[in-house]
Amino acid sequence: MRKRGFLRFSSLLFFVTVGGACAAEVAPSYEEQIKPIFREHCLKCHGEDEQKADLNLSSFGSLSKGGSGGSAVTPGRASTSLLFKAITAEDDAERMPPRKAPIPAAQINLIKAWIEAGTPERTGGKSLVAARDTAFKPVVAQRSDGLGPIPEQWPLVAAPAVVNPQPVFALAASPTAPIYAVADLNAVRVHGFSGDQLLGVVPFPEGQPNVLRFSQDGSLLLVAGGQPVNYGVAVLVDVRSGKRMASVGDESDAVLAADLSPDQKLVALGGSGKTVKVFSTETGKLLFKLTKHTDWITAVAFSPDGKKLATADRAGGLHLWETGTGQILLTLAEHKGAIRALAWRGDGRLLASAGDDGLLIRWDAVDGWPVSNNGNAHQPKRPAGYYGKLPGGVLSLAFSQKGEMVSTGRDRLVKMWGAEGQEIRSRACEQLPLQCAFSPDGATFVVGDARGGVVVQKVSP
Amino acid sequence: MMFALLKKRFFPRLGLRVPRKVFAVWSMAFLSVFAEELFAAAIVTPPASGSQVKEARSFRRDVMPVFFRAGCNQGGCHGAARGKDGFMLSLFGYDAPGDYFRLTQEFVGRRINVAAPEQSLLLLKAIGGVPHTGGEVIAKDSPLYQTLLDWISAGAPDDPASVPEPVSIALVPDNMVFDTSRAPIPTKVIAKYTDGSSRDVTALALFSSNNPAAAKVDAGGVVTPSGRGDTSVFARFNRFTVGAEILVLPENKGFVWPNPVSKNAVDRAVYKRLEQLRILPSPLCDDATFVRRVFLDLSGSLPSRFESESFIDDPALDKRTKLIEHLLQSQGFIDMWTNLWAEWVRVKGGGYAPAATDVKAADAYYEWIREQIALNRPWDEFVADQITASGSNLTDGPANLFTMLVHDVKVTPKSLASDFSQLFTGVRIQCAECHNHPFDRWTMNDYYGWVSFFTGIRRKQGVEPREFYVFNDVSAAPAKHLIDERPMPARVLGGESAVPVGEDPRKALAAWLTAKDNPLFARNFANRFWAQLMGRGVVEPVDDLRVSNPPTNGPLLDALAQTFVDSGFNLRAFLKVILESNTYQASAASNPTNVDDTRQFSRASLRRMRAEVLLDSLVKATDGERGFSYFPKGTSAVQQYPRSPGDTTRLTAGDSFLETFGRSARQSVCACDTKTESTLSQTLHLVAGDTVLNQIRAGKVAERLLAKKAGPEEVIGDLFLRALSRRPTPSELSKLGALVAESQGSPVVVYQDIFWSVLNSSEFLFNH
Repeated sequence: MRKRGFLRFSSLLFFVTVGGACAAEVAPSYEEQIKPIFREHCLKCHGEDEQKADLNLSSFGSLSKGGSGGSAVTPGRASTSLLFKAITAEDDAERMPPRKAPIPAAQINLIKAWIEAGTPERTGGKSLVAARDTAFKPVVAQRSDGLGPIPEQWPLVAAPAVVNPQPVFALAASPTAPIYAVADLNAVRVHGFSGDQLLGVVPFPEGQPNVLRFSQDGSLLLVAGGQPVNYGVAVLVDVRSGKRMASVGDESDAVLAADLSPDQKLVALGGSGKTVKVFSTETGKLLFKLTKHTDWITAVAFSPDGKKLATADRAGGLHLWETGTGQILLTLAEHKGAIRALAWRGDGRLLASAGDDGLLIRWDAVDGWPVSNNGNAHQPKRPAGYYGKLPGGVLSLAFSQKGEMVSTGRDRLVKMWGAEGQEIRSRACEQLPLQCAFSPDGATFVVGDARGGVVVQKVSP
Repeated sequence: MMFALLKKRFFPRLGLRVPRKVFAVWSMAFLSVFAEELFAAAIVTPPASGSQVKEARSFRRDVMPVFFRAGCNQGGCHGAARGKDGFMLSLFGYDAPGDYFRLTQEFVGRRINVAAPEQSLLLLKAIGGVPHTGGEVIAKDSPLYQTLLDWISAGAPDDPASVPEPVSIALVPDNMVFDTSRAPIPTKVIAKYTDGSSRDVTALALFSSNNPAAAKVDAGGVVTPSGRGDTSVFARFNRFTVGAEILVLPENKGFVWPNPVSKNAVDRAVYKRLEQLRILPSPLCDDATFVRRVFLDLSGSLPSRFESESFIDDPALDKRTKLIEHLLQSQGFIDMWTNLWAEWVRVKGGGYAPAATDVKAADAYYEWIREQIALNRPWDEFVADQITASGSNLTDGPANLFTMLVHDVKVTPKSLASDFSQLFTGVRIQCAECHNHPFDRWTMNDYYGWVSFFTGIRRKQGVEPREFYVFNDVSAAPAKHLIDERPMPARVLGGESAVPVGEDPRKALAAWLTAKDNPLFARNFANRFWAQLMGRGVVEPVDDLRVSNPPTNGPLLDALAQTFVDSGFNLRAFLKVILESNTYQASAASNPTNVDDTRQFSRASLRRMRAEVLLDSLVKATDGERGFSYFPKGTSAVQQYPRSPGDTTRLTAGDSFLETFGRSARQSVCACDTKTESTLSQTLHLVAGDTVLNQIRAGKVAERLLAKKAGPEEVIGDLFLRALSRRPTPSELSKLGALVAESQGSPVVVYQDIFWSVLNSSEFLFNH
């Protein structure tokens, strides 16, 4: 399955960039297409006679050994291959070959296609990318009857007056009951999926709710946010009673990202402080800080088994941590812009990330391999006569309990993605769709937009 | 039933209009009473969008000017290339769609809060309501705040496709003279828009004064005089800068203008200004000063003793004009002006073949320049030949404009573009690469259209490693606009439309540049030549002509440019007009009215000699000898250019003396690369270094005179004439003669000491 996905990606790339429609099905190989390129540009310094940086590209065997800087290519991933980085560097001083014009784009694309295809030595040769099985393995949810906790007799509160409808900054659906929560001004509304009925309102006088998350059993609702550059906090609300159960954090800026661990013992949160803080819900105490990020924290998510924590930032940094110790497990480097959303597949094998760079990536959480990578996932079409890149990118994404995904983006589309990461269909929205969430049965999803609109849609057309 | 009623209440747009606050209370009241029904009802759609805002605010027309006025989008704050503290605005608002996106959508909900507008981070930051690095920049009760609040309250809408844009702004009044009354004068800024409307934007403009010592301007545009002098006050709004000239006259009531004779248009323009400012010009300098000055300026070296004496003693009335004419035709003039141009276009020769700047290429260029100066080629043709040159760097001299401005293996269209504009028009267009020029009229459109003249410049390897063929690939793609990657076909600065495609665009460039009616060209070179002779440009620095750096005497620069045009761009004829003027020939001595004047040319300015002129003068005065690496014996400093056996990219002046005294390292086309400021190392070099003493010892001037049995009076007189082009005063003679008389043994050492002292005097080091 892995291999199939791969070939499709690489051949697509080959088709688009090289333009040789007839050659589209065959990946380039070292002997046929790549070595001639190396001979033309590289072998003078990295060949049999001279091996600058101990790198010899003149045979497949010597190439595989790499150079003093480590392996030259990572089969399957051009973006992390040293060789590919060197020939595509923007800085003249860093780019190979030195003091020369860059290698022509067509040749670069061939090299890229070759690496992505797993660096085969000969035409039709085997890909060096290890086969992997990331197929969805259904796990039994705590409740699959859809009869999880719902609001019962919440106290009634007066919502503050709004001048304009509040954009839906946060939206979450319960995994065990057909209800979803929507951020409002200084409050959170809870609705039912069927008939959209309002079930209750819980005040959040601390400010603007930026994050909503239900606990895995659906009994608690995490509300995090605050006032920008002033105060930030995360609170836990009992879904049945609407009562506040706990409050953690006393931040100097609004919380932008937060999640509750499946065992409900931990809350991780972050924001403009570039630090992810993990608190105990029992004592309210700060357990540890994750300080590896270099920009605002934009998303955090505990894995379904609670053993891992994924954290993302505005500069595209994405890390996986071990929840128990706060030690880093993996750094998932691929994003070039702000990451807007993280989501775990129900079985915990895949983590999906997406953001402003338009990438929607599904990572193998075991070793950090990008199992699928959809570029320009939400790039608006350029109208005729318009030059330059329109702001695009993914704003939100969610997994269904069947391993399918829904995403929203700046192209004002809602897109549905199949279990293998392929795009199935998309629907246009009138307003910018900011947030999305699946109903527990995976048959419907809900989308919230920038004008405060919330719409429930069926997955099937 | 109940649901239907509620729905009517909840959806005012369906019929019933309910004030929002009332609606909220209402809805909650209903909630409490009819909670059960509510749970069954589908209430998802929010209230209707804001339709009760008092006045529609446009993002471009109203909101962006607030960021400009409050300083939000200036370079030190959010206008920085990467923004500030995570939030970026385009510098002075060159990118409206980008700013709108960053404010409203980059981080939805972070900066703008349409539901509770006063809680918007944008507003809280601006009024200092939350910690803000920039502090409080807008008062909460100000119209600026209200504009932002109104816009957010309306839902922070983007503008419709076409919004009237400003096409010009005017500062009223544009001329202010403070004489007896020192009462502040308020000004107004009026912007005109594409739809023909006008608007008073005084409250949204930014004001500044070039010379606060003369007049200040406050944030409201009120001009207050502070002391005598002249200045310009500027107002900036949108992408426009306009200036108003301010004169603050001195209060000397007894001032009588003596009506000095004007020799030509230069004097008329200078004197008119001086009369207005109540400044008396200094009288003409004496002959000794004149002969020295004109020799240094035109031929780059001192007059010989013979040349000085014969001029001083010449009784002819027109001797100054004759001397000017003589020097304009001299070899020294050719050397000096070839040297100047070679410096401006960065001629350096090396031995690193791939850079295409081999010594042989540099020589080819240098000789070509020399030939043109010798022939007195009209300046427009001289420049056009270089701009449009193609061919081998080794044999086609002028083609080296495209190797010497580069000094690298790669030709970068953008750097050629900025060099061309700085060198040939005096405009620093490179500011407009990343944003509209903040203090001039140039936009990013101007910049990228200009760059497209150079995107086709190629250098192809010739038959030998050192040789490269320069040519322009007319099929090259034009430059792309930074913001939206739109292709920008070649277009001259300020031009309405692109130049025709298909032929070498450099031809159109040269034709536009050197046209008689292109003020950029004539003003640029008239100002540069004036600065060479007067020590200061009418616009200073000479390569930064912009609206906000106006000439100190506008009519003077106009007159100079017109003179240059009228002469048919004849270099020598143009220089002659300046040289013959009383302004050029004025003494450096000051009078009480012009002692503070450094800008209006009421007296000669004291200038330290340029490095190469100083070295040649030292050698000439001492009859000494000074060689240069990689040049044949007998080459003077003015005749040589930096050479190196290696790469020219990092090559500087190429000689330690020249480097110490600030000869241009030719690392850029900036006029500032040539330095005439004094430094400690210069003083130490003259006092304790080997140059002065070695030249004195090598030249043996005193020895030879003593061998001819010359007395102290003759020897000292000779030393003075050599170094200072004048005879010693009786007092100098008697004091120095006494030193000789007191000496024991050979007087050679004393004469050497005297010579050393004279050569170390400011009078020697300066052109005065």
